[in-house]
Amino acid sequence: MTNNYSTDLASSPFNTTFRVWKALFLREAVTRITASRAAWIWLFIEPAVHIGLMMFIFTVVRVRVISGIETGIWLLIGMLAIFTYKRTATQTTNAISSNRSLFAYRQVKPVDTVLTRGYLEGYLMLLVSLLTYSTTFLLGFGMIPYDPLVLVASFAGLWLTGLGFGLIASVLTDLIPELGKIISMLNSPIYLISGVVFPIASIPDPYRSWLMINPLVHGIESARSAISPYYHPLSGLDLGYLFECAFGFVFLGLALHKRFAVTLAMK
Amino acid sequence: MIIVNDVYKRYHTHHGPGRWVLNGVNLTFPTNVNVGLVGRNGSGKSTLLRLVGGIDQPNKGTIQRLSRVSWPMGFGGGLQSSLTGRQNAKFVCRIHGHETDIADRIKYIQSFAELGDSFDEPVNTYSSGMRSRLQFALSLAFDFDVYISDEVTAAGDVAFKNKAASALKKIADHASIIMVSHGEGTLKQFCSAGIWLHNGKAHWFDDINDALKAYKGSIPK
Repeated sequence: MTNNYSTDLASSPFNTTFRVWKALFLREAVTRITASRAAWIWLFIEPAVHIGLMMFIFTVVRVRVISGIETGIWLLIGMLAIFTYKRTATQTTNAISSNRSLFAYRQVKPVDTVLTRGYLEGYLMLLVSLLTYSTTFLLGFGMIPYDPLVLVASFAGLWLTGLGFGLIASVLTDLIPELGKIISMLNSPIYLISGVVFPIASIPDPYRSWLMINPLVHGIESARSAISPYYHPLSGLDLGYLFECAFGFVFLGLALHKRFAVTLAMK
Repeated sequence: MIIVNDVYKRYHTHHGPGRWVLNGVNLTFPTNVNVGLVGRNGSGKSTLLRLVGGIDQPNKGTIQRLSRVSWPMGFGGGLQSSLTGRQNAKFVCRIHGHETDIADRIKYIQSFAELGDSFDEPVNTYSSGMRSRLQFALSLAFDFDVYISDEVTAAGDVAFKNKAASALKKIADHASIIMVSHGEGTLKQFCSAGIWLHNGKAHWFDDINDALKAYKGSIPK
């Protein structure tokens, strides 16, 4: 419908998009790491304090072993997994509003800001997870993962689910601001219903199968089962289900971005 | 050349769709003609510039840009306020494909904007004059066939206004300018043709003086 000549006529649409992604990635990384005083340190401290506190409560006050692995590792994996999902989801949801002034350049599309934020958040959570996990070896309860591929796949699936959620939520909160409040409310109890702080396996059946509709449960449990062969994972665990949901979300999100591309870029 | 073909545009308000700001606009911006847009407040001057600049889409109709068109400069957008002037400049260089000669462009932008040490401070600490100096310098750092200016020469102090005017003159030698300005002098200085926007319609005049005359004639005494 509308011809878009970029500033150098020789460049293909793909080149233009790639350049925008690169520029946005660097712009987002700079803000994320230097926005406030020592912002980069909080990226690590926030999950570490969270995990440390939960570990203290559970290991000192309550149980030592859950489903065959140590509570410390069980909690740590669950927390890192849910952080990977949640940080990606919240950061991408707010991507459009944080970059609104940059839509003055017609190369920059709303979906670009969501995708680059998702990529950055995944990268940061990879660093945070690796650093936190290696700390467990220094503290003396570290375990070499028994099935590293499943571990990586579980985290990747959770990240992708977060990205898909963000793609959908970013469109919805922009079109209907009231929905933004409801969406952030939805994401707060996710911590409790995803089996991060208490095992889903301990819940009696009609309710357990309801909780297992939540794809995050499958990602978190798969990650834990990849740590040790002695872990008894939840029956009915299905990593494929997580990926089905993730790809479904991403597809729906991209479709929404395509459908509302014009509306989103406008004021 | 830019062809605006039967363009309709209205905005959504809290009470449903608003009035038609542009109501069937047909225009052809020829190559190498500087055009000034005149019209009353709210007559759709900035809306037309945004549509021509490609950062907004018409409700109906098409806009064909058959040349390299700048983003609309000087309307306050295009700067990320948490980033410094330098970081903003780098971002704009990158999305325009100037990764390799980024240092030269930054140097040019820095010297033209004359922001001093503030160039490395976040944009949200800038005054509005400083902001528009940076925006103007940014748009000058790239080669376009058509530059879109929304009151950009109105910003800044006297010294910068003169500098901006001479820079715009230099642009006018090799590219064309589409500008909105409420300064009659500015329009007469830069533009040969004019467009008068009135009641959602656009009227083309080959002489900017005729456009200004038509505009003045429409104002109730």
